[in-house]
Amino acid sequence: MTDTQWKVFEVFHQQARGEPHVHVGSVHAPDAEMALVLAKEQYARRQACVNLWVVPAEAIMATSYQDDDIFDKATDKSYRESWGYKTPKTISHEATEARRPEDT
Amino acid sequence: MTRTFETLLSLDAPTRQAIVDLLYRLADDAMIIGHRDSEWTGLGPILEEDIAFSSMAQDEMGHAHVFYQMLCELGQPDPDTLAFNRKPREWRCCSLVSLPAERDWALAIVRKFLYDAAESVRLAALSDSALRPLAFAATKLRGEKKYHLMHTRAWVLRLGAGTSESRARIQAALDAVYPHALGMFEPTEADEVLAQADIAPREKQLRREWESAAAPVLAEAGLVVGDNVRPVFGGRVGRHPEALSELLTRMQLVYQLDPQAKW
Repeated sequence: MTDTQWKVFEVFHQQARGEPHVHVGSVHAPDAEMALVLAKEQYARRQACVNLWVVPAEAIMATSYQDDDIFDKATDKSYRESWGYKTPKTISHEATEARRPEDT
Repeated sequence: MTRTFETLLSLDAPTRQAIVDLLYRLADDAMIIGHRDSEWTGLGPILEEDIAFSSMAQDEMGHAHVFYQMLCELGQPDPDTLAFNRKPREWRCCSLVSLPAERDWALAIVRKFLYDAAESVRLAALSDSALRPLAFAATKLRGEKKYHLMHTRAWVLRLGAGTSESRARIQAALDAVYPHALGMFEPTEADEVLAQADIAPREKQLRREWESAAAPVLAEAGLVVGDNVRPVFGGRVGRHPEALSELLTRMQLVYQLDPQAKW
C-alpha cells in the first residue's frame, strides 16, 4: 500500500537548558517548519520544554536489529566502565560522553 | 498611573463600565472562537493537526476564563453563569468568531489567523495597561498566543502556496471573513474612556497595527484583500448573526438542563 501520509519527522525534546534533547516520538508534516509547529502541541503541551528539534526520519542512518550481535561483549570489558565514583549531576552527563567507545 | 481592582471602587462609573465592557469583549471573543474551533475535534485534516487545533481551542477557553474571572471580581456573575447562562444579545463577541466554518478548513484557518494576529497586537498593547491585573493577564497569555499565530501563519502560507485549489479556497475564505475581521475593531463608547485612562488603546489604532501585522503574511501567501471592504459591526453591542444563537443553544445545552446542578 502506498504511504499517503506526509513525511515523518523525529522529534527531540529538551526539558531544561543544558539537558540533552531526548527523542520523544515523531510527527507527519510537509516540511520542517510545519513539523516543529505540530510537534510543539503533540510533545510539549504537558511537560516542561525549552527547545524542540525535528529531524527528517530519512536523515537517520540506523543499524539493523539483525546485526545487534555487534554490540555483544565477547570478553569481560567491565574495566571500561567507570563506577564507584560519586559524580554530581552536572558532570555525570560529561562522564557519559567520556565513555563513548572511541574514547576507550 | 497604575490601578488595581481594589481601587476601582474609587473610579467614576463610566470608567468602571468601560473596563467591564472591554473584559466582556475579550472574554466572549476567546470563548466563542474556542468553541468554534473545538468543533473540529475529530475532523482535523490529519491526526497531528486535529490534536494541535483542539488543544489551541482549549487554550482559547482558558483565556476566556481568565477574563470571566476578572469580571467576576468586578461584581459580574461567576464564569459558569457568564458562559452558559446568557442570551445572545448579552454577548459582546465580534461576528468573526461566531461564523460557522462548515467543515471548510481554509475558512477555519484564515479566520483564526486574522484573530490570532489581532489578539497578538491587542495583548501586546494591554501588557502596558494602567490597569495592573489586566496588564498581568495579558502578559501571561502572550506566549500561547505567539504559538497560535506561528501555527496559523504556517497554514496560511502553505494553503496560499499549495495547489490552485487550496489557493482558490483560502482566497474565497479570506473574501468571506475579512469584513467580519474588520468588525473585531468595532468602535465602542468605551474606546475614548479606556484610552484616556491608559487602560487600552483605541480600536482604530489596534486595527492599524493588526493590518501591519497581517498584511505581509497575506501578501506572502499570494492572497489579496479587496479595496474598501466594509466592516461588519454589531457584535460589540449585542447584534449577532443567527449562527451565534445556534452555537449558544448547543454550547449551553447541558448546563441548561439543570442550571442548579453541582459538578
